[in-house]
Amino acid sequence: MKEKTSYLQWLISCYELPGKVQRQILQAFPDPGELFGISKDGFEAVLPEQFAGIFWQKCREVGSVRGMLERMEKLKEKGICFVTQDSPDYPDMLREIPDPPIGLYYTGRLPRSEEACVAIIGSRECSEYGRKVASELGRYLGERSIPVISGMARGIDGISQQAALDAGGASFGVLGCGVDVCYPQSNQGLYQLLQEKGGILSAYPPGTPPLACNFPPRNRIVSGLAMAVVVVEAAVRSGTSITVSMALEQGREVYVVPGRVTDRLSEGCNQLIKDGAAVYLNPGRFVEELEEAYFLHRIRPDAPLAAIREEEPSLTPEQKEIWKALDHTPKSVEEIQRSLSTKISVQTCSIRLMELTLQGKAKQITAGRFCKN
Amino acid sequence: MYSTILSGALLGIRACMVQVEVDAASGLPAMSMVGSLGGEVRESRERVLAALKNAGIDMPPKHVTVNLSPADLRKEGTAYDLPIAVGLLEALGFFPKESAKGILFLGELGLNGEIRSVRGVLPIVREAARRGIKECIVPEVNACEGAVIPNVRIRGAKDLEQVMVFLMAKGKEKEEILPSRTISPEKLMEEPLSRQGYDFSEVKGQETAKRAALIAAAGFHNLLMLGPPGAGKSMIAKRIPDIMPPLTLEESLEVTAVYSVAGQLGDRALITRRPFQSPHHAISVPALTGGGVIPRPGIISLSHRGVLFLDELPEFQRNTLDSMRQPIEDKQVQITRVGGNLIYPADFMLVCAMNPCPCGYFPDRNRCRCTEPQIKRYASRVSGPILDRIDLCVELQAVEVTSLQQDPNGESSADLQKQVERVRRLQEERFRHTKYRFNGDVQAADMERFCALGPVEKRCMEKVYSEMGLSARSYHRILKVARTIADLAGEERIRAEHLLEAAMYRPSQEIWKQ
Repeated sequence: MKEKTSYLQWLISCYELPGKVQRQILQAFPDPGELFGISKDGFEAVLPEQFAGIFWQKCREVGSVRGMLERMEKLKEKGICFVTQDSPDYPDMLREIPDPPIGLYYTGRLPRSEEACVAIIGSRECSEYGRKVASELGRYLGERSIPVISGMARGIDGISQQAALDAGGASFGVLGCGVDVCYPQSNQGLYQLLQEKGGILSAYPPGTPPLACNFPPRNRIVSGLAMAVVVVEAAVRSGTSITVSMALEQGREVYVVPGRVTDRLSEGCNQLIKDGAAVYLNPGRFVEELEEAYFLHRIRPDAPLAAIREEEPSLTPEQKEIWKALDHTPKSVEEIQRSLSTKISVQTCSIRLMELTLQGKAKQITAGRFCKN
Repeated sequence: MYSTILSGALLGIRACMVQVEVDAASGLPAMSMVGSLGGEVRESRERVLAALKNAGIDMPPKHVTVNLSPADLRKEGTAYDLPIAVGLLEALGFFPKESAKGILFLGELGLNGEIRSVRGVLPIVREAARRGIKECIVPEVNACEGAVIPNVRIRGAKDLEQVMVFLMAKGKEKEEILPSRTISPEKLMEEPLSRQGYDFSEVKGQETAKRAALIAAAGFHNLLMLGPPGAGKSMIAKRIPDIMPPLTLEESLEVTAVYSVAGQLGDRALITRRPFQSPHHAISVPALTGGGVIPRPGIISLSHRGVLFLDELPEFQRNTLDSMRQPIEDKQVQITRVGGNLIYPADFMLVCAMNPCPCGYFPDRNRCRCTEPQIKRYASRVSGPILDRIDLCVELQAVEVTSLQQDPNGESSADLQKQVERVRRLQEERFRHTKYRFNGDVQAADMERFCALGPVEKRCMEKVYSEMGLSARSYHRILKVARTIADLAGEERIRAEHLLEAAMYRPSQEIWKQ
């Protein structure tokens, strides 16, 4: 059994070979012992010509069954685990999808079968609005112990995962590189946290660099692990649209956060809505709908599901008016001052804005722009 | 025969007296020059001899020795041509010995005997006056700058012949040949400044930026403007010198001396407008801070008492920017050479402008497609130590066309200057008997004394400190700026709203970290 797992693991580490070829090899040579005596021509008889050479070369590298086992043993010492499709630990959700990965490398843990996960995806270069929605949803899911699946990328991915973890929930990051490679570097903190409170998953062997071609296949795992995918912000023709088409192919529910028609970063989202995607309104409604659709009892029933409304804080009339003029899109002091019905000076307006900021009602985004907190 | 003529040498922005000694003895005809001379001073021999010949003077065959004393001071520049020529004439007995006594000579000679302009006339004449010298003969072009110094007669000479005739003449004739010039500096200072077509009323919208510029000018705070291309960053910067308080006579003389040493004065007598310097970002370190084979003041010294505007801040070489760190701190530049140290003043207000990202439109995500790492890399090109010395940071927005068409004209520069002037008087009062001049100068140790806070304000500041993750340095910067804001409001105590407004303008490296 152990030998068989290692064999699979080693086979997957030959990531130059497509999944289809790997499965062909598995079928033709169920016992790894056979492999190491065969000549190049022998492989050519069962495999497509261009891959036979590569595989033969790979076999020569490890030399024998023992060499292969030793190699795989080393990974375990580094804390990197591996599951094959046959293992009971292999996520059930992934079994359902077309072309599932034969095996997964992971650190931390894998999503359990009783956990219903939600994938949150979106643009790397996100706006303040996307940032707000992603972290709100991440936090809501985290508080209700619904794990968040995402790609640990900059922008929406990382923000939603960080928010879920901060709220005490779990999250899983699916990488387009080896699980021992932290990409992007700027998410080092999140990378550590994910290993403690969730897991890092990858179909690529350790040490694989983050190649651009790795990411589309990675996206199918992101959507595959989740029961629903929420698209927060996406421009047209982005990586997010690949994930969405895969999610649909896998029969996952796709929710889209609507945006303003003038925002470039919401163009992709609004297009998806036009194409018939479900509309995301707020975290409460989203979870409620999800439960109805899936008769989920796994989600803790005691969690309050009412929509979260922004409470109007107790403020002076002037502060209140300025607070109302604020938006989730950052506005400049002049813009805010101009939109007020009572005329106050820019100077007074900036003082009031700073008061609101100190009270946690507003947020100073850049030197001269504020938005609702 | 032996003669001694007075002249002067520049030491940075200051000057010292030099004696030009000439001895003419019998022997093989030759002329040798000694006294630690730079290349251009040694060349002076050829110019002097040719100029004398062309002025119609026949040199008798003598062995001539010229010494420039003090002999251990390195002599540079071309201003010794005239004193050497005069010394030679006196030593050869062309005019009575007393004629040139007590007169300081400065000037470069052309081969035709013409007297050409030299650098640093003002500081040398000033030093001469201090030492009780009553009369100076300088190139005609430079006569104006010397003429503002009181108690000394300045005569501008066109050519060597004029000087000779002057020295040979007696009594009242002298005044007719080379009339002395005096210019009352007080009168020059009173002349109203033309704003050269730059007025704040032309800047439409951008109220926050204008407000920040006013605060900066009032308290001499360094300012950083962030904004997309075409938002009006340079437009505002150009108008800042005119809302700063007018130069005092003392300040004006300092500035004029720097320009005189740099040879950039032209025929102006006095610089009465605050300088505005805007170097291109490809500027080299010596051009910015001063130096060169023959040391000259750099751009930061030419901005003394005025504004140094660095547009496109991230495009400047890092080492160029870093070279300004010490001068900003000391308010002067020290150039150390084998021959000794030179000091140029450099007390300027730093105004910087930059785009928030490579394309310039961040955070407008509809136009800006820069990625986060690109934006961070762009911002990190600005050296932290320079950002540390900036008190106010303000963001400008792209101007909308409706605002261009409809907005009424804003406050004029004259109105703003009145407010600044009032604040300046308050500061004069406050900083009497201290080393400071403006709120922007106050150092951390004296914060308690000049920027004291009441209990309510202290609590407000504590909250700002913790909420905004300030450093000790930025805490003090907010206090300084709040002091100026309170002064503008005419209040003696700093109140919470002043602190809050100052906190909004706080510069931080987190500006870009969304």
